[in-house]
Amino acid sequence: MAKGFWQKFREKIFNFEDIQHQERFILTPMTDETGNGKQKENNAQKGKETGEEQGDSTQENSKQENGGQNSGQENGRKENGKDSPEKGKRKIKKPLSLQKAALKEIPDDPEQLRVSADLETNREYINKLYVLPKNKDIIVRDFYIALDPPLKAFMVFIDGLAANEIINNAILKSLMVLIEEETKVDYAHLAEYIKEHLLPGHDVAVLENYRSILDMVNYGNTAIFVEGSDRSLVIETKGWDRRTVSEPETEQVILGPQEAFNETLRSNTGLIRKAIRNEKLITEMVKVGSQTNIDVAIMYLDDIANPKLVEEVKRRVESIKTDYMGAAGVLEQFIEDAPYSLTPQVLTTERPDRTVSFLVEGHVAIIVDGGARALIVPITLFSLLHTPEDYYLRIPYGNFVRILRVVALFITILTPGTYIAIVNFHQEMVPTELLLAIAASHATVPFPTVFELFVMEFSFELIREAGVRVPGVIGNTIGIVGALILGQAAAQAGIISPILIIVVAITGLASFAIPNYSISFALRLMRFIFAIFAAFFGFLGIAGGLLFFLISLVSMKSFGVPFLAPVGPRTRTEPDVVLRGPVWSMEKRVDYLNPLDKKRQPNISRGWIKNSQRRRKK
Amino acid sequence: MNKVRIGYSEMTAFIIIMIVMKIFIGYPRIITQQGATAAWLLPLFSGLLAIGLWLLIMRLLERFPGESLTKITELLLGPVLGVAVNIVVVTFFCIKTALLLRVFCEATTLTILTETPLSAIALLYLFGATLTVYHGIEAISRSASIALPYILFSILTVLVVLYPYYDFKKLLPIMGLGGWPLLKNSLVGISSFGEVIALAYLISFLPFDKRKIRKIGVKSISISMFLFTIFIAVYLMVFVYPTSTETFVPIYQLTRSIFLGHYLQRVEAFFITFAAFTAFLRLAMGLFVTLHVLKDTLKLPSYHPLLAVFSLLFFTFAFTPKDMVQSVYVESLLGMNYGWIAFVLPLLLYLIALLRKKGENRVK
Repeated sequence: MAKGFWQKFREKIFNFEDIQHQERFILTPMTDETGNGKQKENNAQKGKETGEEQGDSTQENSKQENGGQNSGQENGRKENGKDSPEKGKRKIKKPLSLQKAALKEIPDDPEQLRVSADLETNREYINKLYVLPKNKDIIVRDFYIALDPPLKAFMVFIDGLAANEIINNAILKSLMVLIEEETKVDYAHLAEYIKEHLLPGHDVAVLENYRSILDMVNYGNTAIFVEGSDRSLVIETKGWDRRTVSEPETEQVILGPQEAFNETLRSNTGLIRKAIRNEKLITEMVKVGSQTNIDVAIMYLDDIANPKLVEEVKRRVESIKTDYMGAAGVLEQFIEDAPYSLTPQVLTTERPDRTVSFLVEGHVAIIVDGGARALIVPITLFSLLHTPEDYYLRIPYGNFVRILRVVALFITILTPGTYIAIVNFHQEMVPTELLLAIAASHATVPFPTVFELFVMEFSFELIREAGVRVPGVIGNTIGIVGALILGQAAAQAGIISPILIIVVAITGLASFAIPNYSISFALRLMRFIFAIFAAFFGFLGIAGGLLFFLISLVSMKSFGVPFLAPVGPRTRTEPDVVLRGPVWSMEKRVDYLNPLDKKRQPNISRGWIKNSQRRRKK
Repeated sequence: MNKVRIGYSEMTAFIIIMIVMKIFIGYPRIITQQGATAAWLLPLFSGLLAIGLWLLIMRLLERFPGESLTKITELLLGPVLGVAVNIVVVTFFCIKTALLLRVFCEATTLTILTETPLSAIALLYLFGATLTVYHGIEAISRSASIALPYILFSILTVLVVLYPYYDFKKLLPIMGLGGWPLLKNSLVGISSFGEVIALAYLISFLPFDKRKIRKIGVKSISISMFLFTIFIAVYLMVFVYPTSTETFVPIYQLTRSIFLGHYLQRVEAFFITFAAFTAFLRLAMGLFVTLHVLKDTLKLPSYHPLLAVFSLLFFTFAFTPKDMVQSVYVESLLGMNYGWIAFVLPLLLYLIALLRKKGENRVK
């Protein structure tokens, strides 16, 4: 009866529906008769928040409350006279109030759910949406905001994701302790008032829709529901355990920054922002994964990146319908143009400096929360073969390593095939002495060269894979044992010819010189294809293989950009394709991206040259 | 209109490779037979003549801006005769490319894969060409554009490293068999540049004005002419005239002569790889042009369904000559002796256009 009275009281007396902002507030009595005793009991048991009168309701409380009178549904049932002790006394069924009717059927889709002005209704929503009390790491904490009269409220956060320190000091202390007694509350705009006057948090949002509230809470924020307010306050409280910024593992450089991305999205975007101190750097967020709801950041420079490219990237990422998006590698497969192609069409990097260099060029970076990599689109084959170090080194050194890498590429794909072609078909190409040496080394081997080569290449791949999978120290040991001892033993046993071991070793070494992990994988696979072609047709097979390779590359596109640009098709470019020119000569951005601002630096970027003595003399 | 657009340098590379590929098979031998010690002058004269003819053909194309020769044929000869003539053109391209396939196979068997069955080599060539054509003209022309510098470099390297064998006296007498035979053979020799007509059939892929199209033709013929001239000159300077008329694959003979010291004395297989690569591309180009002209003639939306059928057809045609000698004979007949027919058809069409005053309004 008391409950019914208060409900009526709230609805009829204190419900200011004519307020323009539709902000409802309801004064809540100091002592809530429904279940307050149980809350106090819980407080006593847990010993939490001693010295405060307000109830401390964790999810354990929720469990009890759920079974107790606090439950809206229970209340509903009571009103219906089904489970109420007053069941027999009531003869006329009263119609349900709007709020209670709403509680009867809580939609499963939080998108359709809005925050209610009634705190208990919100509590029920939260219980239902978070499947409380089954869900043990969802914390629901009841408290009173120390206003006059005190306002009942509760907060929701996820244990382990939210920072307890922020919750205690910046939220609870501010709302329960540090409020001045004579504060004049603007009840008409309660949520805004609390946000602007009472909460010291740096990032506080006022939200109405449960979908957005849940998204925020699921990402480590804390939502506060206040009696009488049909809006929720969501405070930034992210504070899970995270890996700190460490050194890159797969893209190491000697000169240059030693920072790498980690698994925290904001940390990664921060690393990029730290390097690009420009308000035109845009970070757009897209949610991907129906179950995981992972944030995917799309970053670009608004005044440089081609809007059509940005739109295309957003279109592809937003269109993804999947339950789980684990890492950048999964997203890459969802957005690339030719997923069956051997060569990747998206560049994956763990280096913020490399990401930055692409962003200022007009590319778009995509970072998946939880993945310590950034995806760069669009890319060309040449950018896959570059490293940041090429630019950090002086021109001759930078070009030397680039030439080395191109040679390494061809060694990786062609050496095994060429060896088979020469030994099986074109022996005349080999100088006589070398031919004799090959013949002598192969004399004791009982297998044909093709078989020998495939066994050795396969063994090499096994060693590599084992070295990656087993723990660190043992991994190195496996590499040494596998490569050295196994190879030497096989040669001594006369199973494999020593020259072949040299061929396989050189091929393996060259494949390690390829800077990008994905393209290195592609080249490793390609060498098998070339070897098969060479085994059947010698150099003709290799020529055929080269044609297939070239055709597949020229017909491929990465987000609309031809993969072999600026060579096929030929487009205007600065001296930075295979070899690189001086940094001061790269005056324009790449043409194939069609950036908004084509100019990178003035024709004379070294201002001091203008004023130099030599120029004056001329 | 086609959505695919080909760049200037890509189309130039396409046509150059179509013309120049002959250098890797019997072309230098045939020219030497025709011109004797003055054979190196033949491509020069023929090339200049071909440029003149191309400029005339361009006048026809300018009368029908943006239209390919297939369409122009139909416009001038009517739907029945036009289609019939186009079908003849398709047949010509088809047989010529199929015979090229056979000659490539024979050359490969003769040089680097002496024990591999001819049909296996033909299958590899056809597989490569079919796959390339499947990816479309964009892929072919871009590959041609990327590969052309390396192909030219390989040819020029062969010529340069043979420098120790150069004997300028072998080019004497300078006029060879005499003035008249030289002139007569120069006229017939325009067959060497007949492939430039393919450009007129692929015009719908070119997004630029007539001047650039004209330039593509002139540039392609000029570069090929220069290459043919110096190649045949070197060929004649390395081998004496009688010997040079007997080698089946002259470039193979030349590469065999290369001696780069004790460790690099047999590098022919390496150079033949470039030749094989060019052969793959040339076959793909032939197959594409055939299918494209057929597609335009029959007004088909795509040529892709015909690809497998025509590959099989090429394979069949390629093995129609009973032996190597016959295949070489037919190829030289079609390619060199009567290849000039390729220029005749557009010139006849131009004449008809002039007489019937067709296309003038379009120009206006």
